[in-house]
Parts: sequence; C-alpha cells; structure tokens
Amino acid sequence: MKSTKYSEKVLDHFRNPRNVGTLEGDDVVVGKVGNPTCGDIMEVFIRVDGDKITEAKFRTFGCGSAIATTSMTTEMVVGMTLDEAMAMTRDDVAEELDGLPPVKMHCSNLAADALHEAIVNYRKGKGEVIPEEDSKKEEDPGCVIGQDEFLNKGVWFVVDDVNEFEDQRTLILHSGDESVQQAIELTEVSDRIILLTPEKSVVTTETLEEQLKESKVKILYESRLLEIRGEYEVEKVLIRNLDEDEDYELFVDQVVIIE
Amino acid sequence: MKEIYLDNQSAKPVDSRVIEGMLPYFGEKYGNPSALHTTGDIGTDALEESRKSIAEFINADEDEIIFTSGATEAINLGIIGYALKNKKKGNHIIMSEIEHISIHNIAKHLDRSGFEISKVPVDKFGRVDMRKLERRITDQTILISVGYASNEIGTVQPIQEIGKLAEEKGIAFHSDAVAAEGLIPIDVKRDGVHLMALSSNDLYGPKGVGVLYMRKKYRVNPIMIGGGQERGLRSGSEDIPGIVGMKIAAEIMQKEMSGEIKRFTGYRDRMIKQILEEIPDSYLNGHPTERLASNTHVRFDGIEGESILLSFKDKGIAISTGSACTSKTLEPSHTLIATGLMHEEAHGSLQITTGRFNIDQDIDNVLNAVPEVVTRLRDLSPIYQT
Repeated sequence: MKSTKYSEKVLDHFRNPRNVGTLEGDDVVVGKVGNPTCGDIMEVFIRVDGDKITEAKFRTFGCGSAIATTSMTTEMVVGMTLDEAMAMTRDDVAEELDGLPPVKMHCSNLAADALHEAIVNYRKGKGEVIPEEDSKKEEDPGCVIGQDEFLNKGVWFVVDDVNEFEDQRTLILHSGDESVQQAIELTEVSDRIILLTPEKSVVTTETLEEQLKESKVKILYESRLLEIRGEYEVEKVLIRNLDEDEDYELFVDQVVIIE
Repeated sequence: MKEIYLDNQSAKPVDSRVIEGMLPYFGEKYGNPSALHTTGDIGTDALEESRKSIAEFINADEDEIIFTSGATEAINLGIIGYALKNKKKGNHIIMSEIEHISIHNIAKHLDRSGFEISKVPVDKFGRVDMRKLERRITDQTILISVGYASNEIGTVQPIQEIGKLAEEKGIAFHSDAVAAEGLIPIDVKRDGVHLMALSSNDLYGPKGVGVLYMRKKYRVNPIMIGGGQERGLRSGSEDIPGIVGMKIAAEIMQKEMSGEIKRFTGYRDRMIKQILEEIPDSYLNGHPTERLASNTHVRFDGIEGESILLSFKDKGIAISTGSACTSKTLEPSHTLIATGLMHEEAHGSLQITTGRFNIDQDIDNVLNAVPEVVTRLRDLSPIYQT
C-alpha cells in the first residue's frame, strides 16, 4: 500500500481537523509526544471535570496521518472518564479512521500516547503516585570517538578567529554560557551553526537566552555527540537522539568543544 | 479536472511527436535487427540511425552507445560491469554522498562483493568537494561516480573538474546524467566523462529505454547474458519502437532545449524569489545558481512534507517532497541530510520540477497555493511560533 493511500476519513480529518489549538486553565493538562527528528510532534490538551474529560484540543507537526489521528483522538475522548481514555489504544484510533497504511501505524499514530501522557500528568498533579516506567538510564557521557583524531582538523577546543569559520557548517557542544556566546558569534560568518545540548532546553543567562532566540543558531535538544567521522578531517558526526534512543549522522565541517 | 503536473523529475509525459514516430515500429516495421532478410534490415537501420542520433546528442561516437532497458540498467552495466571487468586493477570506488538511491544500492551490493566504497561529502549547496574527492583516491581506485546533477535539489556538479581529475589519475569517471539530460547541453568529450547513463523518459521519450555511453578503450563486463546483441554487452532483442522513441525525443530535445532552458529558468527564478519573499522562515535547498533550470526546492520551518504534498494534491497540483513520511524507509532524503540539514528541516521540503508541457498559468497556480498551504499547516503545528 502506498504510504499516502489514506481512507476518506483520514483525509477528512487532515483537510478539516477538529479541535485545533490549545487550552488554558487549572483544570487543563497537556501530553506531548514525538520528536522533530522523526518528523512528528503531537500535543494533546484535555480539560478534566471530576473524572471526565470535557474538552480536548491538539497541535501537530507531521504527516497527513499524524494530523488525522490527533484530530480523531480529541474527538473520541470528550465525554470519556479518565479510565476509559487510559484504555484507549492506538489501534482504537486507527480503527475509528477506517485504518491506516501499515507503514504509518507506528510513526504517526502516537496520538493515544499523547493522551495517556496528559492523563498521567493530571493524576500526578492530583498527588497520585504513578509508578515510573523504567526511567531512562542515565547515559554515560564518556568520551567522543574521534575527538583526538580530528583535533585541529575540524575539532576545536577554542575559536581563535571566527573568520576561519566562514560558511562552515559548525556544531558546538553546549557546555556553558561561553559556548552559547560562541554559537551566537559564529552566526555572523556562517548561516549553519548548530548548538547541541543533552537537555530539553538551553540553560544560560537571561540575556544570552534572549540573544539565542533571536539568532540563527539551530538547536538540537536532547542529543549527544557520539562520534566524529571523516577522512583526514571532520566531515560528519554521529548524534544520539536521547529521547528516541536513535543514532543518526549529521554533516558538518567543524566541531567546537569548549571545555 | 486535470492535475497541474509539477513533478517532472519523477516522470514525464511522452511527447506526441515521439509517439507518432514510434507507431510504425510496432506493426509494419517489426523486424529483428539480428535477422538478415529485408524485414530485419529495416530494424537494423532504425537501430543504427537511433544510435547515431543519440551519439550526436551528447557528442559521442556511434560505437560508444549501448542501448539498455532504462537508466537503472545503464547504471548497473556502467558501474558493476566496469568494476567486475577491472577488479584486477583495484577494488576501490568513489561516489558522492548524494548519488541517486539506485547507485547507493549498487554500492551496497559491490561492498558485499569485495569492493570498497568511499562516499565523498558535498558542501551545503550539494556540490562535491573536489579537495575531499582527491584525498580519497588511492592506488586501488578504479572508478569515480558522480551524478551530473542532483535529481532532488537540482545542484549541478563540477563535472569537467571531476573529469579532468579522473583523467590525470587514470581513473574511470561514471556520471548518471538522468536528471541533467535535456536541461544542460552534454558533451562527453568536453566533460571528460567515460561512462554515462541516460534515460529516454527524461527526454520525453518512452519509459523502459536507456543508454550507457561507454568511451572507447573503457570496457565493461556484460550483466545480461544471451544472444550477444549490442556487441555482447547487452543481450536481448532490441526494443526498436522504444529506441526509435528515444531517438526522436533526443532530436526534438536538441532543437528545443535552449528555448526550454530559458523558459524554465524564468519559472524557477520567479518561484524561488516569490516563495522566499512571501513566506517567512523559508529557505532554498541546493545551489542558488548552479542548479537545473527546472528545479525549485524550498523548505519551510515547522511543517512536514507529506502534509504539504497532500495539501497540494487536494488543490489539484502534483509536487514532490524530500520528507521521510513519503518514502518506503521513513528516512528523510539522504541528499538533504548530506547538505547538512537536520532531520526536522529535511522533513519540511517542497520540490517543484517544471517540464515541456507546463504553462505560465501553472506557475501562477502553484504560487497562489503556497502561502495558503504553509499558513494552514503552520497554524496546526506545535513547533512553529510566529
């Protein structure tokens, strides 16, 4: 089956998504799943009254089925109790949409997961003790493979002259305010400066945070540099997406590691 | 309503003049060139005239043209055939990171068969880095394969520079010219290419026909064994109607190419300029000037390519995208990634490729649709903030 061969119902929800937007208030919780690396992010907002979901909204970045499944989920859950909503599965959503192409069953059918996360967040807020699903193992930062091999051949511990980075695709590891400052500075000579951080946000001074937001620096969140690769000089890096636990290559010319 | 077709890179309609010229070769002129009677001679004449026309189209000699069942077969014969023929000389092959997927899959196949493959990176515009290419050459290197132009982002490679380097080092140079043919005047002598794959459909000829250009003194092992047609390099009775179709397509292209390039360049430059001006946080993929006249490739922050494609489909416009969600592997385009894009950026691309039968109105329509599609999808997106 073609990956874009969708049922009429999927197409209808893609064309006319229901309940787009966000919700606000003390009785609102949000669940968020996905990751831009894999191409889908879904946010499901629910309003809870007692034990019942009274309203639901969503926002989605993703393909046709990603949009349709979140739209359908928000339609299905209104009126459900929290337990009923917790019992709702990805398959239920897919079934309600008259099915999804097999290749789409996993990647873009995370809407039910987002809903479940919202409910867990709600219950946590109410003081319920939720057993943690095997919380992620703390990764050993270890050393970066290739760091020494490529030292001064594309790996730099200090930037002496920004002009040498002109038009260079540069990856900077977030290690503190100095690295943020450096990233911002380098955007003056190159339009491809990527700041990599293992965290969900870049923690730095208020001024730098503001400057970073305004700058052209691209940020890779929840990521770790595993390996630097190339022949004779840096050509690409291997990055681990900590959220998805997936490794992928990114093509860069320079890597800046400020200790 | 007829869909506005702006995906000419993936398939082109066959020109009606080509169809007309092919028709007699199905019914009246059905002879097998291998047969010695008059009916067979008609087939021989058609085959050899076609060989001559296609040789002229790329400034080659007639005996350097081998007809195949398409560009994929030509590439297989050119790369695998050359590697097997020359494995005593060395087992190392260099190719670019942005070769067409068919070539990367051949690389995997050769890798399993004892060959070593190095991929040479490209710059942010998708151009092969000559310094990095040269550094990869070893005394075992027998072949370099770099596509003439990218079928995705349209970046044209420094073919003559690569040809010169290959010549100096005594290494064969193969180029997949499928994306470039008909959009750039190709001259194998000037370009210094030794092996080159062409497809008929990309010249508005029928699908299922292609050519391997093989320079004199460069030899390949056949990969299709049989009755010894095409000097033993490609067995199987020749598809005369298809070959004649490719010939007529090449002759028409020869005459009309310069006008078409001019027209497409106008379309392309207008689209790129207007989209980048009108849509905030939009960017051009590929090279600003060294790009195919037919290719417009842009990306938008915060939205995903399949959604873009479906939205255009709903508006009756056929376009393409480099998004993972439209591919079989769910991996984003290896070409976009090789230019240095992060996955999330590669997901949000729009590829428009114009062709002979597009009219000004098609460009107006797609340009009208872009802001509406992008705005709607961004309104749905949790990762796009204005």
